[in-house]
Amino acid sequence: MANLMPKRRLENIGLGITGFCVALVALVVVTLIFMVAQQGLTTFFVDGLNPIDFFFGQNWIPEQERYGALPMIVGSFAVTLLSTAFALPVAIGSAIFVVEVAPSFGRRIFQPFIELLVGIPSVVYGVLGLYVINSLIKAIFGDAAPTGAGILSGSLVLAIMILPTITTLSMDALRAVPNQYREGSYALGCTRWQTTWHVVLKSALPSLMTAVILGMTRAFGETLAVQMVIGGVERSMPMGLLDPASTLTAALTAGLSNAVSGSVYYHALWSLGMILLAMSLVFILIIHLIGRKGAKANG
Amino acid sequence: MSKFDLSRRQFVAAFGATAALAGLAACNSSEPAAEGTEGEGTDTAALVGSISCSGATSFQPLVEKARDAFQDANPDVSVAISGGGSGQGLSQVAEGSVQIGRSDVFAEEKLEADQLEGLVDNQVCIVGMGPIVNADVDVTDITTEQLKGIFLGEITDWADLGGTAGTIQVIQREAGSGTRATFEAAVLGGEVAPDSFRPVAEVDSSGTVVEQVAATAGSISYVAFNYMENDGIKALTVDGVEPTQENVESGDFTIWAYEHMYTREDEDESTAAVTKAFIEFMLSDDFAATVVEEGFIPMGDMKVKKDAEGNVTAA
Repeated sequence: MANLMPKRRLENIGLGITGFCVALVALVVVTLIFMVAQQGLTTFFVDGLNPIDFFFGQNWIPEQERYGALPMIVGSFAVTLLSTAFALPVAIGSAIFVVEVAPSFGRRIFQPFIELLVGIPSVVYGVLGLYVINSLIKAIFGDAAPTGAGILSGSLVLAIMILPTITTLSMDALRAVPNQYREGSYALGCTRWQTTWHVVLKSALPSLMTAVILGMTRAFGETLAVQMVIGGVERSMPMGLLDPASTLTAALTAGLSNAVSGSVYYHALWSLGMILLAMSLVFILIIHLIGRKGAKANG
Repeated sequence: MSKFDLSRRQFVAAFGATAALAGLAACNSSEPAAEGTEGEGTDTAALVGSISCSGATSFQPLVEKARDAFQDANPDVSVAISGGGSGQGLSQVAEGSVQIGRSDVFAEEKLEADQLEGLVDNQVCIVGMGPIVNADVDVTDITTEQLKGIFLGEITDWADLGGTAGTIQVIQREAGSGTRATFEAAVLGGEVAPDSFRPVAEVDSSGTVVEQVAATAGSISYVAFNYMENDGIKALTVDGVEPTQENVESGDFTIWAYEHMYTREDEDESTAAVTKAFIEFMLSDDFAATVVEEGFIPMGDMKVKKDAEGNVTAA
């Protein structure tokens, strides 16, 4: 018994420390949401901005006290969806190749290679985009894209950035498919392609969706690289893929240094932050829903 | 979690440091006064204290040079300089978290009336700005009316200005930029561009403006004088007047603004002397040469002055 007491105390200490960690995380998350919401909602409840004007207003011109966030909302969604559309086929294609076709090449060469890409800081992608992609767009489209900056350039840079995220997660998803599934398929006389398409991709679908959503989350939240290549025009709606535009994140960073704390402009920027926060909550919710569905489907 | 942990630790550290500094300042602040009474007439009473200065980044390098020289002359003084933009500088000096807030624009343009109370405007130098174009544009002079037309989206082709036909690509600074505010106040005269007008880019620093103008055929933008000597761009004369220091001083060149260092009237005694001495140093004749070197214009030789509404009068 005397021997047991210290053990129990140890147990309690462990419980205390880990419990404290959990409480701390919870506190940070709650504080963060509370702060952003408090500042962001001030725009509507104290400064008296009409939420409809804010979310659907087509002009963001702070010097005229016009805060319509639609150009940035559209910009953010456009670059997110487009970059995913660019990156997804390549990511899935290479994942299939390295998992189903050449596993040893995949593990030894491709995986470290792609993981290297994940670690590159976004400013590097931004510089690359500014000098390579923008110049390329300018050269291809000429007068239609005088600076090369625009939604298309932003999407291309983001596509490169989220490619490694989607690829590695897709590879993991395909690897997680039990080998019996493949063997069963081969036993029925299916070719490798038929097996991949009808069996492996089908059963990996929920995890693949998670990979895509995580990629989209990264694209949606990316700031610096996009800001450098998209042109930063917030005052009105972009009308085409070659039009310079802005995203929620870019507008937030660009505006913060010029806004005086406590002003309507400042609060409106927090409201943009609130939209970003809400969107990432939505993304996480989707991932959880997919996870639950996948668990159900696989029994 | 680690973030919170860190900020907490930082908080403790910062708190400790501030307390220590305050203690130090309090101990020492009595000393110069005592020395002053003892050795009367010797105005070499050593300044002691530390102040901080945040805000506009446009003339931060100049203030940093002043800080270096000022600290060399006063070894017991420390001036902490940080950026953040005019908006941050003004709000921080208004709430008293820094002693000096740098701004490119008059505080009246950014702050509410109640925040303005107790703020002292110290104009430390002048920045001149002018239009720049891509080096291949074959126009060398522009009238204020034409500039206005371009930035309101009414004039869209270089042929209208006597150049080779080609679209005018307008590159703007971001909304809220001090440079932009100055340029628009001097050129647009209160008019605003229609919603349909879209610049090809809105960028957030003068360095980027230069890069973009150099890289974009037929582009026009505006920068401070100290950014005009770059490859690939060229400065235009406005109404036939060259963008030079002399022309700003004489009042012939009209696109310019003050660089402000706002302070508080009710500043704490322990730092007020240092703040005052630092501002005086910025305005001193000794420092004027550095001001010119950095591409700004000293206050001393100005023959005109501007008020917060933009009205220009003889000085």
